[in-house]
Amino acid sequence: MPDVVLQARGLTKAFAAPAGPLPVLTDVSLEIFAGDSVSIRGSSGSGKTTLLQLLGGLDQPDSGEVLILAPDTSLVAPHSSLGRGVGFVFQNYQLMPELTALENVALAARIAGVPSEAATAEARSLLTQVGLGARLEHLPSKLSGGECQRVAIARALVNRPSVILADEPTGNLDERTGAEIMDLLLGVVAERGAALILVTHSREFAERATRRFVLSGGVLTPA
Amino acid sequence: MPWFLHLALRQLFPPGKRFPAFATVSILGVGLGVASLLIVQTVMNGFGEEHRLRIRESFGDCQVTGAAPIERPEALAKQLAASPEVASASPYAEGPALARNGDFSGIAQVRGIDPTDPAQPARKYVYGGSFDELDDGRIILGAGLARALRVRIGDRIEIWSPAMAERAEKGKAPLPAEFEVCAVIVTGFTEVDNAAALIPLRRFREIWNLGPRAHGLTLRLKQPALAEATAGRLAVGHPELRFRPWQDIKKDFLAAIRFEKTMLFFLMFIITLVASFSIGSTLFSAVIRRSREVGVLASLGAARWQIVALFGLQGLLIGALGTLLGFVLTWTILACRDGILGMINRLFGGGDMVANIYLFSKVPLHYDATDFVIASAFTLLTTAIAGLVPALWAAGRKPSEAMRDA
Ligand SMILES: Nc1ncnc2c1ncn2[C@@H]1O[C@H](COP(=O)(O)OP(=O)(O)OP(=O)(O)O)[C@@H](O)[C@H]1O
Ligand SMILES: [Mg+2]
Repeated sequence: MPDVVLQARGLTKAFAAPAGPLPVLTDVSLEIFAGDSVSIRGSSGSGKTTLLQLLGGLDQPDSGEVLILAPDTSLVAPHSSLGRGVGFVFQNYQLMPELTALENVALAARIAGVPSEAATAEARSLLTQVGLGARLEHLPSKLSGGECQRVAIARALVNRPSVILADEPTGNLDERTGAEIMDLLLGVVAERGAALILVTHSREFAERATRRFVLSGGVLTPA
Repeated sequence: MPWFLHLALRQLFPPGKRFPAFATVSILGVGLGVASLLIVQTVMNGFGEEHRLRIRESFGDCQVTGAAPIERPEALAKQLAASPEVASASPYAEGPALARNGDFSGIAQVRGIDPTDPAQPARKYVYGGSFDELDDGRIILGAGLARALRVRIGDRIEIWSPAMAERAEKGKAPLPAEFEVCAVIVTGFTEVDNAAALIPLRRFREIWNLGPRAHGLTLRLKQPALAEATAGRLAVGHPELRFRPWQDIKKDFLAAIRFEKTMLFFLMFIITLVASFSIGSTLFSAVIRRSREVGVLASLGAARWQIVALFGLQGLLIGALGTLLGFVLTWTILACRDGILGMINRLFGGGDMVANIYLFSKVPLHYDATDFVIASAFTLLTTAIAGLVPALWAAGRKPSEAMRDA
């Protein structure tokens, strides 16, 4: 039995709305093991982004609990290991526009406390791995969408997190580039031994995950 | 370099952009504010120093007087001059008299001085004629007094002293003393220029029936700035005498100069404050524009204080660079001050105000390190606050919500 890297139990979340609280997640439980790839589908507004934010520690659930495998191999609350326990990949890349590809990736390592030189070396090797060895000094504005997403993937991986949370990583890309990114994502994540939670609208991409879920009515059900 | 400083520099001076508009305009704004502050302070200091010098030269660094005229002034002068703090001591006598030239007359504040003293300050203020011609038959007049009497150099005037009234009381015919005007002085102090009349001390004693006595001594000190303390020390052992440092002689005037400087500091500081406010508002909109980036930094594990530092440092960097620019601008503008003043005079007419009103040949300057320290401290403080307020706001947001912002 492989290690548990993420454990979510009984998550609920409601947002304040003019007509009273709007429940988004009513009871979500999930257990992810090392090397897992999990896809989550669901209609727009079903709470997929909200769920990923709770899993990654960017927001707190109203009730329930999330635990993440921290780099020091203990299960901790995700917000206490932000940037190290999980890595995020967003639909619109979210790169720092003033930093080069190399600096964007190194930034994540430096925030995690890695010294500048080691961070740059690690960033360079990861960028080469995702096929951007010739684009290290490019600013995001000088990169294509697919290239930006490669940088973002390298950034999510640089601190060797146990889980990658990807929120519609191909949503802004054309079909072919999207497929390339998906290949890359599944490949590198597996190679690094991390687990992947992938939110996507694409049935085809969702099929490529080893475990598949649908989020609907605030509950996660296996597809 | 910590990552947030690196990122702060990049956000202020984005690579690949030839003109970092926000940084340039903000730094220029702060620089102009600091420069106007420092220019005004430095020129005010210059005028202040010039005025202080004139006070010292007109009245001496320290005046020694007694309840009655000093009996043996030469001996006392010798004794005081022996003090290591005193550069020189010379007796003087002074008193009002009636000056007359035919139908024109005026009140003259006559002062008996040593015409052979090479350091006699009046030499500096001779406007026409020659100081060295001063002898028992000649007199030096303040320009205002000379004008009132309608006399020029070479003309003759009469001096009627109070001692002559004494003679008249005793039934003797009072005869005025006659003098030829040998020089005219302009000090810039209206009260001095409108009344000053200088004659040799020997002649003064005759006309005023003083005998060997004098009204007081004028001391020049080795360290005039410390005159107050020195006067206190010299006074020990001379309970019958009063030692008045120059700071005390023109107390109100000096206080007015200082007050003027303080007021101008605050007025000029408003400019820096306005610049800081515009930095604050620009940084605020930058922080809002960067909401999602703040969320991303949080998702990468950035601590709150690091996000505060990221934006707070940008305000501080603008403040620091603006202050430096302000120093450079101050120095440059003040170095070219005569050219600038000449241009203003040409453009708006009005002649050379500095020479005509203040009687200085150049706009006087005095760089004071304290002004620079205070101006930098205030500027850094306000710009840091201007950066800190939006920074705290940004860092206080929930990352999940910051990332939902467009
Ligand atoms: N901060 C918030 N305040 C109020 N309501 C919110 C907030 N965040 C999300 N919601 C609501 O929660 C619901 C779920 O939003 P979420 O972004 O998780 O959906 P999603 O499944 O990711 O949709 P999409 O596929 O369009 O990205 C939506 O109805 C949204 O309006
Ligand atoms: Mg979403």
